[in-house]
Amino acid sequence: MSQSEAFRPLQRPSLPTLFMLCFKIGILSFGGGLSGWIYQEFVLRKRLLNEDDFASSMAIAQMLPGANVVNLVICIGEQLRGPLGSTTCFLGFLIGPFFAVIALYNVFDLLADVELLPVAFNGIAFAAIGLLLLTCIEGTRRAMRFPPSVAVIGVTAFLIGVLQWPLIPVVLAMAPFSIALAWKKR
Amino acid sequence: MRDNLLINLALVFIPFSLTSIGGGAAIIAGLQNETVNVHGWLTEAEFIHLFAVSRSAPGPGTMLATAIGWKVAGWAGALAASLAFFLPSSLLCYAVFRMTNTHREKEWHLIMREGLAPIGTGLIIAGVVSLFRVAEGGILALAIASLSCALFYWKPRFPVLIVLALGGIAAVIVSSWPKFLPAFDIG
Repeated sequence: MSQSEAFRPLQRPSLPTLFMLCFKIGILSFGGGLSGWIYQEFVLRKRLLNEDDFASSMAIAQMLPGANVVNLVICIGEQLRGPLGSTTCFLGFLIGPFFAVIALYNVFDLLADVELLPVAFNGIAFAAIGLLLLTCIEGTRRAMRFPPSVAVIGVTAFLIGVLQWPLIPVVLAMAPFSIALAWKKR
Repeated sequence: MRDNLLINLALVFIPFSLTSIGGGAAIIAGLQNETVNVHGWLTEAEFIHLFAVSRSAPGPGTMLATAIGWKVAGWAGALAASLAFFLPSSLLCYAVFRMTNTHREKEWHLIMREGLAPIGTGLIIAGVVSLFRVAEGGILALAIASLSCALFYWKPRFPVLIVLALGGIAAVIVSSWPKFLPAFDIG
């Protein structure tokens, strides 16, 4: 591992240890708060990573496309054990949820004859939308510090959510514009 | 034919993998459009059902990709969709992390983060709008979503599974109370 001094972990965990740690977080983390779990395990309990390394990994994980938490375990894996560490964390983290979501789908399917079940599922989905609403509120609140950002939020949401324009071209068009705005601000 | 289906699944998920800035919630609107309208793999009701399943499962919200793959083409589909969705963004993240870790204090890094953040939030709002449209739950959907949002706002550590279960129970109670919402009809 050719890691610079600054990123040398406090301890160097074995690959099976990393795998089990990520597997545990992946399979138990029902409904979000996963970054919080990872912080608990890697920084507070096992002391594999210091606060600064966790925070910088988190920033990159959020900035890039992909599930934030998957990106986060990849960054952490790289810091602890290099490319093999990243692969181990990636697999360990996703393998549990992979089987869990399929198992859950089949459980729901078995119960499909129950008449009220679709109604209940819709209710569950509505409650899950509440989690997303909270994300929207927090994101918009952060953007309030710089009003043009709120406009970027509004335009993006309107084009894709209301007009149903295709997502990818809209993002590719908005990204340079928004980054230019952030650059001009300085 | 079957191989084509797997390839098509991968071709749908790879671009979403690389554009899902802000996490999985950001791509729901686009994913719904691709799987329901463009490819016709799922009905709107099936999509919202898969969303509910993936939200009640552990792991990142984007396990929706696995669930869609499973629904469309079984185990092979689940694997194809999962790899197509998680691998490209992961490889990109790995490469960027290695390259930029030394620049994390520099200004361009900060500017890039600040510029991309509002786009991520806008995408999540678009996802919420499209979910409301697909769910067709009217006032009930809005009420349950707002209540659950308020609960998470004031009690961030409240177990998510319980809130989701409460949402399901509330929907059942309201729908079996016809006089309460006479025109209430869930597909």
